[in-house]
Amino acid sequence: MLNKVRDMTLLEGNVGETYTVKGINTSDEDMNAFLFRLGCYSGEPITLMSKKKKNCIVVIKDSRYSMDNVLAEAIAI
Amino acid sequence: MRIAFAGNPNSGKTTMYNALTGRSEKVGNWAGVTVGRKESPIKEAFTKGKEVIAVDLPGAYSMSPFTPEESITSEFVRDEHPDAIINIVDATNLSRSLFFTTQLLELGIPVVVALNKSDISDKEQTKIDVDKLSQKLNCPVVKTVSTAEKNNGLDKVVEKAVSLAGTAQTAPYVQADIDLKDKAAVDREDRKRFDFVNGIVKDVEVREVLSSETQQSDKVDSVLTNPVIGILIFAAVMYGVFWISQAWAGPGIADWLVGWIETFQEWVAGQLENSPAIVSAIVADGIVGGVGAVVGFLPLVMIMYFLLALLEDCGYMARVSAVMDPIFKRVGLSGKAIIPIIIGTGCGIPAIMACRTIRDDRERRASAMLTTFIPCGAKIPVIALFAGAFFAGAGWVSTVAYFLGIVLIFLGALLIKAITGYKYRKSFFIIELPMWKVPSLKRAFLSMMERAKAYIIKAATIILICNCVVQVMQSFNWQFQVVEEGMEDTSILASIASPFAILLIPLGFGAWQLAAAAVTGFIAKENVVGTLAVVYGLTNFIDVDELEMTGDGNVVAATMGLTSVAALAYLFFNLYTPPCFAAIGAMNSEMKSKAWLWSAIGLQLATGYTVAFLVYQIGTLITEGHLGTGFLPGLIAIIVIALIIVAIARRVRAHFDQQYSLHENAKAAA
Repeated sequence: MLNKVRDMTLLEGNVGETYTVKGINTSDEDMNAFLFRLGCYSGEPITLMSKKKKNCIVVIKDSRYSMDNVLAEAIAI
Repeated sequence: MRIAFAGNPNSGKTTMYNALTGRSEKVGNWAGVTVGRKESPIKEAFTKGKEVIAVDLPGAYSMSPFTPEESITSEFVRDEHPDAIINIVDATNLSRSLFFTTQLLELGIPVVVALNKSDISDKEQTKIDVDKLSQKLNCPVVKTVSTAEKNNGLDKVVEKAVSLAGTAQTAPYVQADIDLKDKAAVDREDRKRFDFVNGIVKDVEVREVLSSETQQSDKVDSVLTNPVIGILIFAAVMYGVFWISQAWAGPGIADWLVGWIETFQEWVAGQLENSPAIVSAIVADGIVGGVGAVVGFLPLVMIMYFLLALLEDCGYMARVSAVMDPIFKRVGLSGKAIIPIIIGTGCGIPAIMACRTIRDDRERRASAMLTTFIPCGAKIPVIALFAGAFFAGAGWVSTVAYFLGIVLIFLGALLIKAITGYKYRKSFFIIELPMWKVPSLKRAFLSMMERAKAYIIKAATIILICNCVVQVMQSFNWQFQVVEEGMEDTSILASIASPFAILLIPLGFGAWQLAAAAVTGFIAKENVVGTLAVVYGLTNFIDVDELEMTGDGNVVAATMGLTSVAALAYLFFNLYTPPCFAAIGAMNSEMKSKAWLWSAIGLQLATGYTVAFLVYQIGTLITEGHLGTGFLPGLIAIIVIALIIVAIARRVRAHFDQQYSLHENAKAAA
């Protein structure tokens, strides 16, 4: 699901805002599938709760997750 | 009849399982506490006398497994045909949980949905129309609160499951007949399934508070996951746990207990006054003395377990993983490795098992290999003994022991990273932050008592037997004559342990008694204390004041004839060599690779030896101005170890480079 058009990544998002996921920019199928199971895939909402140098906290469906910025950078919004 | 418990991680399966069966399996407020399958009959009060076996399974998000523990779940429900499934659904997170529910409903096994944590969703003012949900899913839905004693809905869930067993339900959603190997088709189907779930949730759930709104707890989380403050808080929390259990509350209670044990020992010795000396030696010194020396430390371990249970129950573990991940990533581990390390301060076996939730093979094995460097509960007596006997009970000994354990984990991880060529692989980190919860004192108390029971049983069986064997072996020589006073070196034990002792000379403790104690430590680490008590005829290890009263200076220290530096080296040797056999067994089953297992044992032996060597030699140089005995042979041994590691690294990396280039070539060709 490599997106040719350069979208904004979740890492560039504003804290406290809810975005719609446009896609997962990764060649790592595991990463894609793992995020899918949690409900993080194109068309679904994601909220950025806090942002740190190395990781951030997000809300997917009704749960909070802490993810590293490698992941946040792969999530196109 | 068998009923399987399945659901998303941290939905409360094991809490319900414990409530229904009366068991006390490990629970905790983070995703992935249960890593294996557990079975036990449900109490008859729930089943109306029928025999029903509950099967607790690790949490899973979907039928397609990702981690080894998830595959246990999907394989069980798919291949082992339970008579019914209780699907535990976290009521606060319907939208994610029902994905797995709809998959379970397709299996042709009757499903009852337990809408668990409904007290929390009520508190959040989330309204769920249970009847409508039941209608949409075409299966019974029961509201439950597994943590409540009464009106928890558990009897109703069991009743429904039992009555449905053997019947058929029609699945509300059936996946289209697609080629499961076609990735895109599977993807499309899974999206449809999520759409179906989203439709249901929209119909049955009304949320007063949106989960994306910032709560008070989000502010707390933001602080706890701050890279600087978060780590300081974590250090403070762990220091608090150790300080309370090992310096403040623990030793006081232990003193009192040791007093009773000594009185008992004297009484036993008095009863045996007229029996042969050998009988009195075995019973009074070997059994009561040796076991008593170990049991005396029980309060420290119990308090430690109590505090760890509180920590595991409140939801802090996931936050710690998140804040530690950037640091762990640098050494090639996942942030999730901190959970085994914390559990490992209690016991290494569950710690090694907890590594199963780490997705990446290399990271998982490396964690299982390194986690036992953190001193476990069984090593507390060893630390307390040496701190008390040689360092006047100084708290810094324990602090250094744990801190050095962490340093060794990092260094070991760096070494593994260097050997296995980590640079080629990528890994990502994500962990669910569960809702905070007031930890249950009752659970913590039960966890503590459970541990106390296991500790006493261990002391009364393995440690007792070991102490008797040690006592007999040191009382007799090979001709089976009683060893006379002054001839101790001719005993069976001395002649077996002496060759090992030679290897330990460069570490500062080449006495056969100490070698014997270290070897028995592999059976159970408490044995180090037990064996020392037996071979030196000492019992009161913990009450330093009393020791000081019995003579000028310290009896224990004087009897062992060690310098403080050598004593510290010996302590570290015991802490950082391989763990007990039971933990090595756990390592074997988690690693599923003989090469990794032997590397782990080799690394741990090398670490214990090297640390002890450095502490003794450098310490002696500082305190006495010259190097300790056997510096050169020790140095040679360590150089040999280093060369072996380099050789292994070269082999592994050559292999890996080759594999990687093949992979690249294949890609280029395609």
